[in-house]
Amino acid sequence: MVLNRILETLQKGDVKQIADLIGQAFDAGMTPEEVLNQGLIAGMDVVGQKFQAGQIYIPHMLLAARAMHAALDILKPLLAGNGNARAGRVVLGTVRGDHHDIGKNLVSTMLEGKGFEVIDVGIDAEPEKFVAAVDETIQIVAMSALLSTTAPFMGETIEALERAGLRKNIKIMVGGGAVTREFADSIGADAYGADAATAALLAMELVASQKEAR
Amino acid sequence: MNGKQRILTALAVKQADRVPLYIHGINEAPIIGIGRHITDGLPGVKDFRKMTDSEKFKVLDTLFLIHETYGVDGFTAFEIGHEINLDDGHVQDEFGVTYALSDFGLTVAKGHPIKEPQDLTRYTPPVPDRGHLLLLDLARDRFKGEKALFWLMRGTFVRCWRLMGMENLMLKMFDDPQFVHQVARMTLDYNLAQLDLLVEAGLDVLVIEDDIADKNFPLIAPDQFLEFVNFYNRQIVEAAHKKGLKVVRHSDGNLWPLLDILLDSGYDGLNPLEPQAGMDMARVKAYCGDRICLLGNIDCIDLLPNGTCGQVDEAVRTAIQDGGKGGGLIICSSNSLHPGVNPENCIAMFEATRKYGLYDTP
Repeated sequence: MVLNRILETLQKGDVKQIADLIGQAFDAGMTPEEVLNQGLIAGMDVVGQKFQAGQIYIPHMLLAARAMHAALDILKPLLAGNGNARAGRVVLGTVRGDHHDIGKNLVSTMLEGKGFEVIDVGIDAEPEKFVAAVDETIQIVAMSALLSTTAPFMGETIEALERAGLRKNIKIMVGGGAVTREFADSIGADAYGADAATAALLAMELVASQKEAR
Repeated sequence: MNGKQRILTALAVKQADRVPLYIHGINEAPIIGIGRHITDGLPGVKDFRKMTDSEKFKVLDTLFLIHETYGVDGFTAFEIGHEINLDDGHVQDEFGVTYALSDFGLTVAKGHPIKEPQDLTRYTPPVPDRGHLLLLDLARDRFKGEKALFWLMRGTFVRCWRLMGMENLMLKMFDDPQFVHQVARMTLDYNLAQLDLLVEAGLDVLVIEDDIADKNFPLIAPDQFLEFVNFYNRQIVEAAHKKGLKVVRHSDGNLWPLLDILLDSGYDGLNPLEPQAGMDMARVKAYCGDRICLLGNIDCIDLLPNGTCGQVDEAVRTAIQDGGKGGGLIICSSNSLHPGVNPENCIAMFEATRKYGLYDTP
């Protein structure tokens, strides 16, 4: 029952209560992994579903994200290995010339809510910055652009990843105000996320498809 | 009818002699790109702030010339001179908000002076400066009543998030709603004081520019919108109406979840009806086209940058067919004419509005 309460409290964003509930879960003999998977990640799944359905809005997602980060601060030292990269590792950034970060930050939050570790290369990120952040532990490169004038730099970033010999090992995901599915296809991206919650779901699918391919 | 009469008739949701044409906003690149079709001596594309005085004069004159040459019925003015340069990459506005400049279009607010309640105690709100209305003065003197004069006024949400930071504002709506109200009230006082100056300067149409939605949904919940945003914007609408102005509401994105609130708030027009966000002209016209004038809908995300002139012509024809019946339609792009649009497509939009916009009956 305490896991259900964690799940519900996460959605309300009550940082203090969620810390208390995590303590109660440990007292009841639950492991950090159980709290993470059945409480936090399950809770962020519900948040994502409600957001996609238009039942909650960005402020509610931010509220839940704040509670999730507070909970992760408690859990991380207790998780075996790198508990925050259980689903995979994603390089995320807003492309060259574009200084918008709200959409990118939401995607980061939802990816973390799915158990990904996010390597955030920031805003106005040159293709070389994405390339430099990719190593053999990265599964996905995710790019955001709000402007029609900056979206083409997504294509240039993909080309830079190809030139660096990294493209074949990673999946590319794009999104943002100026991006459409057709555009994503035209630059050779593997997936287009219409919103942050969709992006997180797609990231799970992309990682699963990589594992199957191996 | 002249342009001003045409615009004001459409904003009254009545039928003018033809569907009016309007440019909501336009950047340096399309001014120069379109301008090269009608004048010589334009500078290369660069940020207006980095132009010499003679280049600025030429670009502004070209902007006016575009409106005259292509029969654009309304002119949009906005603040000039309200920013100071901090360095090559950053400017600060009269509110103390810092913006990162971009070679690719929009500046983006990055430095937010009022993050916490204690910041307000140290903060002195700006007072609207009559000198910042220079572009409106120039347009009034140039067009002499032939075109409707619009003014872009930042609304409550945009002013608040620029002052507080977007994510901070959204969380403060839960954590400290009184603080958000204090900031919103301060921005309202500024906007109302500026409104007085605008009326004296001869304004016709106030545009409350307050982006509140993305392609999918509003950025905040409808109840938050009512409490923290619309409560204040509505007071601007009422004040503007008392002074005889028409008022247009601008917001990007999918406005369907907020549409009834907006309709109830007394706006005369709704802009820019972004096709990618579900603001389908025929559907909006059927829902509320008899209550509010519709401005926009010609796609500036994909069509104007990447389409052909023929496709633009067809989009304008369709928009007029779907939204023009009985009046209450003003054609413009689905947001500003930004650096990515193809100038030839903009000209195609202007020409198609003249081609298809004539009403059969007066």
